[in-house]
Amino acid sequence: MNVGEWLLFAAVLLVVPILTAGTIRKIKARLQNRVGPPLLQPLYNVVKLWRKGETVSEDATWIFRGAAVINLAVVLVVAALLPWVSFKPGLTGDDIFLFIYLLASARFFGILAALDTGSPFSAFSSSREATLSLLVEPAIVLSLVALALGAHSTSLGSIFAYGAAAGPAAAPVWIVAGCGLFLSSLVELSRMPVDDPTTHLELTMVHEAMLIENSGPNLALAEIAYTVRLTFLYGLTVQCFLHAVYAVAPVGMTLLAVLSVLGIFLLAAGTALLETVTVKLKWTRCPEFIAYALTMGLFACMAAIFRGGV
Amino acid sequence: MEDSLIGPILLFPVALAVLCLLLGRASRAGLAVAAGGWLYVALLAVQLIPFVLGVGGRLPLLPGLALEKLGACFLLLTAVVVACALSHAHAFFSSERQSASSPSDRQVLLFYVFALVFLLSMSAVYICDNLGLLWVSIEATTLTSAGLVYFRRDKHAIEATWKYLIICSVGLAFALLGTIFLFSASQHGLADGGSLNISDLIQQAPGLEPTLMKLGFIFCLAGYGTKAGVFPLHSWLPDAHSEAPAPASAMLSGSLLNCALFALWRLLQIASGVPGSHFCQEMTLWAGIVTVVAASLFLVRQHGLKRLWAYSSIENVGLMLVALGLGSAPLFLLQAVNHSVAKVSLFLLSGNIIQLAGTKQLSELRGLWSAAPGWAALFALSALAVTGVPPFGSFISEWLILVSSFESRHWLAAVLLLLGLSLAFIAVCLHAGKVLTGSPRSEIEPARTCSRSVVPAALVLVSVVLGLVIGPDFLRAAL
Amino acid sequence: MSYPELFAIASAVMAILMIGSGRLRINLLFYAFQTVFASAVTASCGLVSGDHQLYSIGLAILLVKAIGVSAFIAWITKRIGVTSDPGTLIPVPLSMHASIVFLVVAHLLASQLPHLKGQDHSLGGATAAISLLLTGTLFMLARKVAVSQIIGFLTMENGIYLFALTQTRGMPMMVELGILLDVLVVVMIAGLIIFRIKRSFEHIDVTLLTELKEY
Repeated sequence: MNVGEWLLFAAVLLVVPILTAGTIRKIKARLQNRVGPPLLQPLYNVVKLWRKGETVSEDATWIFRGAAVINLAVVLVVAALLPWVSFKPGLTGDDIFLFIYLLASARFFGILAALDTGSPFSAFSSSREATLSLLVEPAIVLSLVALALGAHSTSLGSIFAYGAAAGPAAAPVWIVAGCGLFLSSLVELSRMPVDDPTTHLELTMVHEAMLIENSGPNLALAEIAYTVRLTFLYGLTVQCFLHAVYAVAPVGMTLLAVLSVLGIFLLAAGTALLETVTVKLKWTRCPEFIAYALTMGLFACMAAIFRGGV
Repeated sequence: MEDSLIGPILLFPVALAVLCLLLGRASRAGLAVAAGGWLYVALLAVQLIPFVLGVGGRLPLLPGLALEKLGACFLLLTAVVVACALSHAHAFFSSERQSASSPSDRQVLLFYVFALVFLLSMSAVYICDNLGLLWVSIEATTLTSAGLVYFRRDKHAIEATWKYLIICSVGLAFALLGTIFLFSASQHGLADGGSLNISDLIQQAPGLEPTLMKLGFIFCLAGYGTKAGVFPLHSWLPDAHSEAPAPASAMLSGSLLNCALFALWRLLQIASGVPGSHFCQEMTLWAGIVTVVAASLFLVRQHGLKRLWAYSSIENVGLMLVALGLGSAPLFLLQAVNHSVAKVSLFLLSGNIIQLAGTKQLSELRGLWSAAPGWAALFALSALAVTGVPPFGSFISEWLILVSSFESRHWLAAVLLLLGLSLAFIAVCLHAGKVLTGSPRSEIEPARTCSRSVVPAALVLVSVVLGLVIGPDFLRAAL
Repeated sequence: MSYPELFAIASAVMAILMIGSGRLRINLLFYAFQTVFASAVTASCGLVSGDHQLYSIGLAILLVKAIGVSAFIAWITKRIGVTSDPGTLIPVPLSMHASIVFLVVAHLLASQLPHLKGQDHSLGGATAAISLLLTGTLFMLARKVAVSQIIGFLTMENGIYLFALTQTRGMPMMVELGILLDVLVVVMIAGLIIFRIKRSFEHIDVTLLTELKEY
């Protein structure tokens, strides 16, 4: 096991999530003609929350207390398994279905914790969260399965392994699957067209209302988990697009590594732009948006099958 | 000599339309259009009758345009139908003026202009020698006649126009696809890179790729069938025919439907040369049978006078399709002529009756005998003519179609046809009988019937003449 | 996969994305993309076959159908003030997924068609053409605003055009122009009638046009 690679990866895992979350906020603020918080504000927030005391609902049980920890743990495991940057050292057991169901279980604990508090806001936001995840799961599965079809393997490591380039013909699959993953991650992360992360009205919230009963260190853990999830989902998308670039014109490994981190920030900037120019969809119209993610997944599968000559 | 004259004659309607616009007043334009219509008929007759009776089979005009004998007959028929409708239109619109829903001067003027352009587009159908141009002309007939259906500009007219335009355009889109299939079939099969030229295709038919040819024919049947009102695709037809003013309904029924059927005839001409294409004829035949049976069922429960005749037109389209499926061009022509003559008379009379009674609901139309005996007599005769009762021309053609379907051993088809025809006869007689008898719903002032009876009376006479003079020859030749 | 095939498939994909939205502006945008790709197919066919006439036809499609017609319909929708189409019985997302199934069906159908010698891009072209045709038909059936009907019709027409382009060695220019003109006039007339429908019925929902019926 290459210690140097692991150290580099750990450093990236520590720094990039905070910066990504900060970038989105900063760019969004600049686009709205505000100065905006400093880039490291998410870190300051976490530190501040960590120092604060905690108020817990009387109805809450150990599930509520444990959920945030479990959530963060699962997210970290996924981050360690998933090849979301090109220089991540490989691990066995990086199966796509393992990844999908680890994410689902993190979500499951989140929903359980929200229900556990007994607060009506948390209850209906968790119901919405469950609906959204139900709808978006096929899209993620299909996008990843399309990649697996191309590589004839469900191991993410071998799917995302560079080198054995299939030539320019593989580029459409990667691009379409990347689009599918990006759209799904917007839903998965409860971002703009589906949910407004900066809203102040609990009635329209999905993700924020789930955390409405969390405070202090508990909230800090949830926020860290969210930023890590944001980072690796964006990282995965970026990897897809990089593969498309690589399939057309192979580039050096160092450049690839730089690009895979830079790409995450680019996507973050894109998200900020998207969130400035679009409005949140009506709840009943959300399936329409998710349908596009699913469609991308289906297209990716079809492109992969067509290329494979099945 | 003839080559140089047909082309210019076809541009005559455009000149007439320009003249209408220059005259600027509907009353003056109406007279000019009536006179011009008959002048057009006369010019065409002088040019075409020697050609039809002569020996030459084909009259090339411009590249892509040519006239055949059947086309020449239909060209003449179309001109006659339009001339009849337009010469009736003047009297019709001037009495419409006196009623409550009077159309404006400009509306009537536009009606004449649209009718003339419509005439041009229909004439173009018969002289096309190219499948692509044929499609373009048929689509052009849709577009120009939409202006006629739209005439009243009220809710019903808008709805009818919208449905007409959309359903026919979509249907014709499939016909275009079929045309492309045929072109592809010719490129697959023929050495010289394929062609859309109908006369070339007929000559080289054995070389066409059979699968593509069949596909192309199916799509064209669906597409042009929509335009002709073939059964499951007919839904636009009753709406358009009943919402258009009576002269326009007469033109739609008496000449537009023939255009679409003529296009199918051209396709069948090509198909008959392709090996194993018996299928195409069978399909046409069965489409016709289904249309006859379905239309006669619809005829039984009708509530609008003009809708009744619209369904009767659908039934006649079915008959013509059967004639096409049997591969008999003379029967097709004979049925088309008889139907057009009787149906134009019927639509024009229905327009008069609706003006007189102020409603088109069959349940409210009663006592025509006592209100207007002259019209009642003509109405009864035309209704009998359209259903194919002996002294009239359509009896001959319907009889011959039945006989030849028995002769070609299509037993089931013939029996179904017979059933459909009888049912249609009973239904039309019942409805017409109710309109004629009883006492009028309200006190109706006697109308000046004379000017609006001339054209229907003449047409009824023509129908009788067709039955008594031309019919026996046909019968003798056939039996 | 050759360039004409790639563009043709892209055009079909745009049609599928078009049917997935209930917003008329998004529908129109994707219609425009789809037509731009259709004109790209034309141009690239010209590049492959060396037929320079195709460049001018491609340009005509780009200017007339992709830009002109889209702008015209956008103007209508703006004047009438309709922004979205609720759709009929078939939900909007479902219709998109159905049209993906149509793409597969189209591929199966296209592979049954006889292959024309000397046309190496005929399979993808036929797939895209049939898919566009089916998607356009579905769009007309699944929507109820009159403007959507026109967009669906235009999509069908694009499919037929692509079919003609890829399955034959070029339609005669005169026929091609006649077809283009006819389609343009249909759109113009339909557009004018839509204004009338709006004025008389105070909506442009064509499923409510039921004044005329049998009984």
